[in-house]
Amino acid sequence: MSEKWNITLKVSRQKQGEAPHFDEYKIEVNPDEYVLDAVERVWAFIDRTVCFRHACHHSTCGACGMRVNDVEKLTCITYIRDVTHDGGTIKVEPLRNFPVVSDLAVDMGSLYRRLESVGARSVLPVPEAEIERSPSSWSADDGQYIRLADCIECGLCISACPAATTSKDYLGPAVLAGAQANGLKRNPELMNLVDSEDGVWRCHSAFECTAVCPSFVDPARRIMDLRTQIFKERVGSLFRKA
Amino acid sequence: MDTQHNRPSPSRFWNWFNPVGRQTSGWAFMLQRVTALGLTFYLFLHLIILGQLAYGPQGYDSFIKLVSSPIFIASELLVVAAAFLHGLNGIRIILTTFGISVTRQKQLFYALMVLALIIITVFGIRMFTV
Amino acid sequence: MSKPSVVIVGAGFTGVATAHDLALRGFDVTVIERGDLCNGTSGRTHGLLHCGGRYAVKDQESAIECIDENMILRKIVPQVIEPNGGLFIAIDEGDLQYGETFIAGCEACHIPLEELTPKEALRLEPNINPNVLTAFLVPDGTFDPLRLALSFAASAKANGAKFRTYTEAKSLIMDGKGAVSGVKALERTTNQMVELRADIVVNATGAWAGEIAEMAGATVPIKPTPGVMVVYDQRFVQRAINRLNKPGDGDIVLPQRRMVVVGTTSFEIDDLDYVPVIEEQVELMLERGSELVPGLRNAKVRGKYTATRPLIGAGEGRSAARTFKCYDHKETDNVDGLVTITGGKATTLRAMAEKTADVVCEKLGVRAACVTKDTSLLSYRQYYNMPN
Repeated sequence: MSEKWNITLKVSRQKQGEAPHFDEYKIEVNPDEYVLDAVERVWAFIDRTVCFRHACHHSTCGACGMRVNDVEKLTCITYIRDVTHDGGTIKVEPLRNFPVVSDLAVDMGSLYRRLESVGARSVLPVPEAEIERSPSSWSADDGQYIRLADCIECGLCISACPAATTSKDYLGPAVLAGAQANGLKRNPELMNLVDSEDGVWRCHSAFECTAVCPSFVDPARRIMDLRTQIFKERVGSLFRKA
Repeated sequence: MDTQHNRPSPSRFWNWFNPVGRQTSGWAFMLQRVTALGLTFYLFLHLIILGQLAYGPQGYDSFIKLVSSPIFIASELLVVAAAFLHGLNGIRIILTTFGISVTRQKQLFYALMVLALIIITVFGIRMFTV
Repeated sequence: MSKPSVVIVGAGFTGVATAHDLALRGFDVTVIERGDLCNGTSGRTHGLLHCGGRYAVKDQESAIECIDENMILRKIVPQVIEPNGGLFIAIDEGDLQYGETFIAGCEACHIPLEELTPKEALRLEPNINPNVLTAFLVPDGTFDPLRLALSFAASAKANGAKFRTYTEAKSLIMDGKGAVSGVKALERTTNQMVELRADIVVNATGAWAGEIAEMAGATVPIKPTPGVMVVYDQRFVQRAINRLNKPGDGDIVLPQRRMVVVGTTSFEIDDLDYVPVIEEQVELMLERGSELVPGLRNAKVRGKYTATRPLIGAGEGRSAARTFKCYDHKETDNVDGLVTITGGKATTLRAMAEKTADVVCEKLGVRAACVTKDTSLLSYRQYYNMPN
């Protein structure tokens, strides 16, 4: 028999042309369900006017990112048990640094456009997909397989990034991570895009992006690696010119 | 189709000092900025106070009185603390920028802060007992 | 001569694929959706790009649709597909005996397959059940649900289609002669009602198709049938692993990024808008899934959720056909101006759209052939390049 908790869901509400405010909903939930399920319950049973984004419910589409109790989370894989207790409150707000479409839904257009501008690959050979595995630890056969990239383009990293809060033109962690995965060797035309004021150098090592990434991208590490690639390229080209 | 609320803008720099929802390295980021502001403020204060020396022997005496007071020594200790916290964290940032210890940057932060605390304590003891 | 206009209700797979097809045929397309793209059933598919083997014995119409569409999708939208193939594996005697029927079925449906010895199967997939008795290699795949839809939507948008998300159909506008001439919808972002007129309204709301059709006094024999999916946090296999037997519960283990998805079950519900996960079914997924991939027992559950299939009418649960059907309501309910497309599987979205677009063109006397089979789709990110 599943447990039942009584919790309060405090939802940020904002319709076009209005200021944001919070609405509170009391619901009964199973603590082993997810925060997204709680939001969905509110929509289904209490208040049909709540707008939120969701699609796959299994951390592959990146649509359901929200701030849960002030921390960026992918709500479809965040257990209610991990963010509150019986009788407690869960505060849900939209992601930061993206324009709000309505209530909890934001417009991620800028993220998608920037990912496209660096040609971030959505599917790639399995050995290239993970940054933490060195080529030698892959079994010989794995190179023949292609898989979807780790980055699910959920925007949590951009919401958490302090630099993204103050610079609207900063490419952002996810985009730089996508550029790093391509690499400057394969895509030398990316050099001017990433070696720029709004590219890797806007990052000030807050590492919040890696802390909130739900999909093992480790954008901070990829940004630092991209910087190393840039150094090698720039310094190397000095010697090559001579 | 969208609202103004939530958009990136330079005026939202106050968010750098907002501790809500931050992880460890986010605290480091914030600490770096707070100490930077502190040290800059100290620099101006330093110049102003040194300016007192321009007012002859009388100025010199009041200067010595000021800098020997316990409050002043305590605030100097704060400056030392800010300098070491900022400096050691800065070394961590330089290392990670060059790709060194990026995967263990959180542990590096803790280690360097412990080192900073030790150094600050040593300074503190010396400053208040000598 | 102005373009014929269509309003498509629903931006799941069917809606976006139909928008793409009709836009290419010169229609003025508007898609309305009460949430964001794929927030109904479509987003929640486990993402199996079917080779058709699952249906090759009992539902050959579906099987042929699957293998044909599988090949087409691999060609027109590779950017959202993990094309690594699949295995049908036999774990017990019952499975083994199904083998011959399976081979015959696949051959009848031109599904390419290759039988492997247990040793070969384990070399390809070391994490499957070591007691595998035989295996068949087939051209399955995994696709990213939302991004598949975005690719169709992006292509549709590039050809002039408009997408109005957070716009909920509230009633159908009837002209005086019992035909549908548009939709009255609520813009949920502003709480304003809008009226959208069109020559024809396409009902692409899947499991909710009955509710929309009712707005015009028409009926659609939809039997919403949910199933559970459980996701584990390790990529145990590179290919889709299917149980070599009649379709049953928990007989698919599918890799996706760094996860595997195990599905699914089949049960009935009353309330479409929220279907909770039943704990016993999750346990069943672990039971049956670990017969295919024993490592599941040591993995952590990353997510669990339900998805509601829009099955068409007759037949109970698993015996219902998985094919799709396009209803011209002029014929079925004497309500003109309304067409419903439902049933089907994610893999056959393009074919469903082709059929719907053919019906729409015929009704409006538009002569335009379908070209979607050979038209590569735009990058899914382009959906955000163009304003709504």
